[in-house]
Amino acid sequence: MIHQQHKPLIELRNVSKAYPVASGTFMALNDVSLTIESRKLVAITGKSGSGKSTLLNIITGIDRPSTGSVTISGVKVDKLSETELASWRGKNVGVVFQFFQLLPTLTILENVMLPMDFCNTYSKKERRDKALALLEKVNIKEQAGKFPSALSGGQQQRVAIARALANDPPLLVADEPTGNLDSHTATSIFELFAELAKSGKTVIVVTHEREFSAYFEDTISIADGMVNAQISVHA
Amino acid sequence: MRPRYMKVIRDLTSDYSKNLMLVLAIAIGVFGIGSILGGYAVLSREMNANYMSTAPASATIEIDGDISSTLLDSVRTFPGIKKAERRSTIVGRMKVHERWHPILFFVIDDFEKMEISRFRHISGTKIPTEGTMLVERTALMVMGASEGDAITVRTPHGSQQTLKIGGVVHDPALAPAWQEQAGYGYITMATLKALGENSRFDLLRIQVSENEYARQHITQKAEEVADWLKQRGIEIHEIQVPSPGKHPHQSQMEAVLSIFTVFSFMILLLGSILVATSMATLMVKQVRQIGIMKTIGGSSYQISTMYFFMMLVVCVVAILVSIPLSRLAAFGFYTQIAKLLNLEITDSSIPLRVPFIQIASGILIPMIAAAIPLIRGSRVSVRAALDNYGVSTQKVNRWSTFLSRTSLFTDTYRLSLRNVFRQRSRLVLTLGLLAAGGAMFMTALNVSDAWETNLKRIYTQRLYDQEIRLNERLLPDSVFSVIEAIDGVTKVEGWDFASSSIIKDSKYEITKTYPDKGHGSFSIQALPVPTQLLNPTVVEGQWLKTAGSNEVVLNQLARTSEMTIGDDVLLAIDGKPTRWKIIGFTEDVGSPATAYVSITTFAKIAGSSGKVGMLRIAYSDRSRNNSQNKSREIDDVLEDNNIRVSASIPVWLLHNAVAAHMEVLVNSLLAMALLMAIVGTLGLTSTISMNVLERTREIGVMRAIGATPGTIKSLIVWEGITIGVLSIMIAFVVSIAFSYFMGVFIGNISFRTPLTLTISPIAIAIWVVLITVGSYFASVFPARRTNKVTTREALAYE
Repeated sequence: MIHQQHKPLIELRNVSKAYPVASGTFMALNDVSLTIESRKLVAITGKSGSGKSTLLNIITGIDRPSTGSVTISGVKVDKLSETELASWRGKNVGVVFQFFQLLPTLTILENVMLPMDFCNTYSKKERRDKALALLEKVNIKEQAGKFPSALSGGQQQRVAIARALANDPPLLVADEPTGNLDSHTATSIFELFAELAKSGKTVIVVTHEREFSAYFEDTISIADGMVNAQISVHA
Repeated sequence: MRPRYMKVIRDLTSDYSKNLMLVLAIAIGVFGIGSILGGYAVLSREMNANYMSTAPASATIEIDGDISSTLLDSVRTFPGIKKAERRSTIVGRMKVHERWHPILFFVIDDFEKMEISRFRHISGTKIPTEGTMLVERTALMVMGASEGDAITVRTPHGSQQTLKIGGVVHDPALAPAWQEQAGYGYITMATLKALGENSRFDLLRIQVSENEYARQHITQKAEEVADWLKQRGIEIHEIQVPSPGKHPHQSQMEAVLSIFTVFSFMILLLGSILVATSMATLMVKQVRQIGIMKTIGGSSYQISTMYFFMMLVVCVVAILVSIPLSRLAAFGFYTQIAKLLNLEITDSSIPLRVPFIQIASGILIPMIAAAIPLIRGSRVSVRAALDNYGVSTQKVNRWSTFLSRTSLFTDTYRLSLRNVFRQRSRLVLTLGLLAAGGAMFMTALNVSDAWETNLKRIYTQRLYDQEIRLNERLLPDSVFSVIEAIDGVTKVEGWDFASSSIIKDSKYEITKTYPDKGHGSFSIQALPVPTQLLNPTVVEGQWLKTAGSNEVVLNQLARTSEMTIGDDVLLAIDGKPTRWKIIGFTEDVGSPATAYVSITTFAKIAGSSGKVGMLRIAYSDRSRNNSQNKSREIDDVLEDNNIRVSASIPVWLLHNAVAAHMEVLVNSLLAMALLMAIVGTLGLTSTISMNVLERTREIGVMRAIGATPGTIKSLIVWEGITIGVLSIMIAFVVSIAFSYFMGVFIGNISFRTPLTLTISPIAIAIWVVLITVGSYFASVFPARRTNKVTTREALAYE
């Protein structure tokens, strides 16, 4: 687990990510260096195609940098094997997607229990109790026995957040989590993120919805694969 | 249950039709294996049990004369002899629906104390009184009679009489009567005498007390007994030592069932390939879910374990479904074969090893086949999995570029063609599956046709239509003039024949003939040189050219591996060795082991100069109907002229008898071919579904830019039909190789000569129609399903 309060939780040094395309090479990230401190709600903003999702993928280990290094809580993520990465990610990073990405053939409760099953955290009985507690935290416990298709978008995203918190990771990342929700629901999701940050989680959110900027303590602005600015709003 | 396994179970139950196809693909293979192996196991055991229940003779010594009861008692005390009995076998004729058919009379010494070559009583009297006979159950059909009916019969030296069927028995050592187109009757010596024959037992049947399955030992003991008999002035005609403990059809049955076993495993293998392609579809469908699971902590190993568990569930369901069904099919299979071989199934239990093999192969083969797509799918990187948008990113290959440039096709078809070649590894699997199914289907029909073609050679090799074996050798002139006078008879030749054997190290004529006198027999056929009624297929050397020479031509069943042209061979005639020079080898269809010699030379040896023992007659009209009519006319004419006939065998009867021997093989091959066709079509459905599924979003894009549902349907259907047509071409080429090897195998076990390679146009036509129609339906359903998805849904497809 990551428990360093005053040191940077995430440290990227000279990270570049290049993709081969028909016309040559596309630089999705170009020599990005940044640090993110723990227990903060951080926004990554930028236009479509600016590289913000790539940056998030690099942080979560979903993608690997072409050059540069990624250190999260002292762990050199870019050096981990695929299997090590899966295990590390399961325990240390909770990921929330724009389209919720709940597994359709598992109930809400089972969706939340699945990361615990993969990472073998908690005893079997504890998993159920823990999952129910998380669903209660995101106000969706009464839907535990239902399948995702029976839930609204906002409810599904709450379940996705509960699932992201299943193994109690210190870092939560969300890629445009409210892009598919109405503004009322989106507000409630951002409130939930703020609560989580207050409770000690580091929450990184990729977004281009300016109306929620008040929730963020740090904002990293990306354009053309480079960090334009890293602003600490409440510094 | 852990959530990950719960997901597997729910994934399986959420798409019944698709997963049912997976279950079906494996189940067909496991079913085939169980049916064949189950049938095989029961038949092997029961054939042996049936045959051994008759207490078959180790050897039969045929003498010239009568075996007295005193002599028999002495033989019973002979060292190394466990049991001995005396019998006689007479080939007579029976009249059924105004036509004469052969009937084999077994003259039993004591019906109550039979210890060798026993049979099982079924109904009626157990001991036939004078003027009655017991009949083998399969002969009733040939006789067109039932218990209590009277049959008109005639023996070589007797007059026409009627014998009542007093009872029915089962003799599993005999091939079914309908297969041999002959009757089997069991009579007492008194009845034989009443029929006009000499009352003598000329067959001594013995069972050895040791090494009862060693042919060499049995031969040695039989020779010792023969020596002993000879010392007492008894002439030994022949010693028959059939394969010890082996039913006359055992080798053929085992060979045929081995083919079926290979076929059934092939079906499972094809089914498994289908499962592998289907699992690849599933992995495509689940790729984003795999990405999600990896994102939340699932490792490649954990994920692959989940999908292997899914495969295991599919396999287990397939096994649970197919094992009981295969037992039913095995029952049907062994019941049919048992009927064909005249066996009585007394114990129908299928050995445990059969379900064990089904379980092991039903799990291992599909698991191995599906391992590559499962492992590959599970190892996909998280980013690749999450970035899967249902729009193929495959590069355009040169073949596709060529197809896109050709102006021979419409735009839609050009696009269909390019789609066919997009997923080349999948295309190879599908083509392999369909082509293998098609190749085996065409092979089955090709072999069936080749079999028919070979059977027709019975007519092209035999230019005669009727063979009449005379009771006594006669001067031909007296016979020919009366037969040639019959309208429609074009040619009559006088031949002769004798039972024989190749003499090697023994002073006796030792044959492998079974008690039915047919299986394992060896005969000499003496013919006028040149003959106009035989068109032999000479495969080496030359045909008989010089009358009066000591030249011999042997057919493939008489030939041994060490024989070459120019060798001398000793053949027994009436138990005496005669020396012949081999000048050629032939391939005969439907003949037992035969040595062809000049009748002039034969007559000198047999002391029958100028006489003939057999007539071969050709008709202008070779149809079965005409042959039957002419046969009747000839019988009447011979009867009127007091010429006694021991057997009259029309060529069509021989044709039918040979055809009946392999009918079950050909039918079973066709059944296997049908299973192949089902698996092949399922494979095509799976592939098209997968291709369409992968391109759901792409199809959405096409619709968004104006493609109508009709265009989409046409695109997908043409893609399916193109794959189908390609597979037909490959299947055709492969089927030629398969047909050749299968023809060699089947030809060798049935005729000891390969079947001629035959291409069945009907097989090609059926397969073309089946695959074209199958391809249409295999692709029209995914096309319809895709068209039901709205453009918005298709574009949002993940």
